[in-house]
Amino acid sequence: MNVVFLAVFLVSVALVVLRDPAAFLPALLTGAGKAVTTCLTLASAYAVWMGFLKIAEAAGVLRGMSRAMRPLSRRLFRTDDDKALEQIAVNLSANFLGMGGAATPAGISAMNLLGVREKNEYSRAMFFAVNCSGVQLLPTTALALRVQAGAQNAYSILLPAYLSELAALLVGMALVMIVYGRKRG
Amino acid sequence: MTWAAYILPVLFAAVLILAAVRKVKAYDCFAEGVKGVVPLLTSLFPYIAGVTVLAELFEASGLSAGLRSALSPVFSALGVPEEIAPLFLIKPFSGSGSLSLLGDLLSRYGADSYVGRCASVVYASGETVFYLSAIYFAGAKGKRPALPVLIAFAANFVSAVLGCLFCRIM
Repeated sequence: MNVVFLAVFLVSVALVVLRDPAAFLPALLTGAGKAVTTCLTLASAYAVWMGFLKIAEAAGVLRGMSRAMRPLSRRLFRTDDDKALEQIAVNLSANFLGMGGAATPAGISAMNLLGVREKNEYSRAMFFAVNCSGVQLLPTTALALRVQAGAQNAYSILLPAYLSELAALLVGMALVMIVYGRKRG
Repeated sequence: MTWAAYILPVLFAAVLILAAVRKVKAYDCFAEGVKGVVPLLTSLFPYIAGVTVLAELFEASGLSAGLRSALSPVFSALGVPEEIAPLFLIKPFSGSGSLSLLGDLLSRYGADSYVGRCASVVYASGETVFYLSAIYFAGAKGKRPALPVLIAFAANFVSAVLGCLFCRIM
């Protein structure tokens, strides 16, 4: 990202100077202003969601989901490692509920546990593919930004978004099965 | 699609009832959760600012328009509106970057426009593949495996293109 930032910045500066040097500072300030408004929108959305999700967590929703998910993930990820399965379940349910903060640490330890035991390339690739599909109950950030932008129908993206997430999940799973399927573990 | 508006109230009510049954201190928990917002935003804001400043400069320099018209044959062949090409390009690398681009696209073209809806769907589905791979495979021994990353990248690309198609027909 650092290289990209530097390269794009320098090329843009050169072009701005050629076009209209006076537009340089206003562009920077407008950009920073957009960051402030975006963060304000996010602050309200996060306040609602993180507060609510904490209640859900305390009420045992996350635990219940993890338990329900175990038999399925045992088969999907082809592992019998109980610790890894537990971390996978926490990661997937947290991701599904939109709790990225809780999902990432569990995901990292799941990945390490999958890697430690054996040469479990299949499990790790499958776990990564499932994680990258972005399947979630509600795309809360996108919805919040849409409401902020004055959407008449903020929810109109739900169905296409679900289908698109599902496509990412299925294509990812299928590719992992095709690429790693024959090697088995 | 009015049914979708019922999801949230029902979900919130269900969880709160469950919390009441399990004697959870709901008010304290809510406050506890919100406490995490400020550190999250302070860690996010610098990167969002970096990208929005860069994006604005990118737009003002005319580079954005140039890149768009250069890529538009590719994207229009896939049925993707050329306006969201930058979102396609930055999405695998940076969550805050695609977030700021989504905000930008929504305010520029309107949230209910075709471009705005496509951008929302492309943002919502899939993940920041390269960023996640750096985090997830960092602790692992040996090199970062290229194959899983490529698979996830391909799956995300397909789903983003499909997402634009779904937006057109729904």
